Amino acid sequence: MSGGPLLEVRDLHAWFRLHGGGELHAVQGVSFELEAGERFGLVGESGCGKTTSILAMMGLLPPNASVSGEVRLAGADILAGGEDSVRPHRWTDMAMVFQGAMNALNPVRTVISQIAEPIMLHGGAGSGGGAGRAPRTGRVSRARAASARQRAGELLELVGIPAAAGSRYPHEFSGGMRQRAAIAMALACEPKVLLADEPTTALDVMVQAQIMDLLVRLSEELGLALVLVTHDLPVVAQVCQRAAVMYAGEIVETGTTDALFHDTRHPYTRLLFAATPDLYSDDEVTSIPGTPPRLDRPITGCPFLPRCDSVVARCESERPVLRAVGARQAAASGGAGYLAGQPDGDRGHVAACHRNELVEAIEKESP
Amino acid sequence: MTADGVLLEVADLRARYRVRRSIADRVARRPRQWVRAVDGVSFSLRRGEMVALVGESGCGKTTTAQTILRMVEASGGSITVDGRDITALSQRRLRPLRRDIQMVYQDPYESLDPRFRVRQTVAEPLLVHGVGGSRRERDELIAGALERAGLAPASLYLDRYPHELSGGQRQRVAIAAALALDPVLLLADEPVSMLDVSVRAGVLSLLDGLRRDGRLGVMMITHDLSTAAHFADRIAVMYLGRIVEYGPARQVVTDPRHPYTKALLSVVPDRDPRVRRTAQILRGETPNPVAIPSGCRFRPRCPIAEDRCAEVDPRLAPPATEAGGPGPEALPAREVACLLA
Repeated sequence: MSGGPLLEVRDLHAWFRLHGGGELHAVQGVSFELEAGERFGLVGESGCGKTTSILAMMGLLPPNASVSGEVRLAGADILAGGEDSVRPHRWTDMAMVFQGAMNALNPVRTVISQIAEPIMLHGGAGSGGGAGRAPRTGRVSRARAASARQRAGELLELVGIPAAAGSRYPHEFSGGMRQRAAIAMALACEPKVLLADEPTTALDVMVQAQIMDLLVRLSEELGLALVLVTHDLPVVAQVCQRAAVMYAGEIVETGTTDALFHDTRHPYTRLLFAATPDLYSDDEVTSIPGTPPRLDRPITGCPFLPRCDSVVARCESERPVLRAVGARQAAASGGAGYLAGQPDGDRGHVAACHRNELVEAIEKESP
Repeated sequence: MTADGVLLEVADLRARYRVRRSIADRVARRPRQWVRAVDGVSFSLRRGEMVALVGESGCGKTTTAQTILRMVEASGGSITVDGRDITALSQRRLRPLRRDIQMVYQDPYESLDPRFRVRQTVAEPLLVHGVGGSRRERDELIAGALERAGLAPASLYLDRYPHELSGGQRQRVAIAAALALDPVLLLADEPVSMLDVSVRAGVLSLLDGLRRDGRLGVMMITHDLSTAAHFADRIAVMYLGRIVEYGPARQVVTDPRHPYTKALLSVVPDRDPRVRRTAQILRGETPNPVAIPSGCRFRPRCPIAEDRCAEVDPRLAPPATEAGGPGPEALPAREVACLLA
């Protein structure tokens, strides 16, 4: 495929059927796209649908969930045919580092054998691939096992662990090394897209910096597209080029990390930044009152309304949709800044806020 | 209370854990090993003040708090609370004093009993200490504590179970339970790290307000330097069981002197993508406290270590460039444990 983005998520929805009947609409129309080597952040409070979105993209939601929308990898929709169409791509084209993956290593097996296993089963890209894929339960030839181990060693080196250390057990690794091993495992089949769910949350600042450094290096050297799911805005600001802010299952603002911080358009984005203490700023750190809305009932109007500090009349009746926001300078020079109705697939800065639209309209009239 | 308002004085505090020896170790007669979790920590806390203990996991922050609470026995040094040395007090004599020191734990999803209503959770410490004779008196204390913790009106929360509360509310209940006994000292161990970003500021402001009332002092343990810089008066940076830099929060953050503090600050990500710090990423992780390096304990990871650092174990002292004289606002001057500071 030429031209199109490497990864394109379009109008992704996910519902969970609940025990007592009813449905929880966890992801409500998420769209974004990614180029090779690009790093994209997905931020927001817990329960806003970040993790569900990427699990849906991997086809890994539990059986009580249903998904709609498109996830295009190099143009081909991998969700179109259910599990059968996702499976050939999962781990080989798109891989995931789960939250807490570092604590999910098997304690009674050496680290290298755990990394070699998926390579044997999926015939990792380096070892012949396609036709030679081993049957799930079948025995793996000795040569194949040896080459998988060899490859696992290379992967460990790639993430900064000496291959020789792979023969140790997870408990002999520090937290940072286990997290590196988890990343190595996700890279086993040379995916083009890596989805990382809170990869540094339980780690110390110094180790967090090491892991972020590693992820940046991997995306630059391997051209890996990275989706970083986190609640930590500063991490996203430093690691990602672009990011989306999620609230109540939908994206409320997408843009370059620079635009999100310096030209914030959605009140939720602004309040999230205000809630994040900064080392050298004396700005008061403020919490966001209230809690996110329940997603098991339909939402009328803007989902952020009850917590918003800049409400306009329309917010109560009409749910705002993502619209391209006008670059402030472009607007002054009369450029075609306001592409109203342009869906979020646009790579520019988009926000779903009635007030922002009003403010822009006023600015446009009186430059 | 002592004349100078010092509430808590910790001097050269030490605590160690015995490393379990395997049979092989015993057969080989390998010597018993100790983890020196707290290895000579000194600091003080005044009424109305908040001190933040900052450092990576395994640096001894939590053990320091546990030793102050006498949950872990000190193997050396002293702990003085409100002018009374509690280091060697028997558990029986200690009991009435326990009211004065209360702890807030990291995870309000685990620290609250899921089968207790809010009322019971906050009543528990009162019952244990036999405070508030009549039911009515107790109810007043419970309501007062809840409202002090920002859960007002208390009647709205009294009969709820933890699962009916948000994370921020749960932590406030835990704080209310700690406040019920009207302590003079509150130890908060990572009080917001399990909470959502959106509610962290509220809980931190609550702790900030409590100490600004002047009735109590707060010692907060955190790994987050930004939080410490915003809310604490003073920051103590710990490394491998010892404080390596200690001083007024702003000063420590804007003008760090210890190479470890400098490195820690350099890796704190900034909210603004345009601000790029030259991250000084230290290799490896904190070494095993069973084998603390000779001389300066930070030496193996230190970017500026010299030969003499292997020989001298530096003590906390005012850095050479600003020796003598107390710091601004009559706060004790900053101290650094580095030969080269």
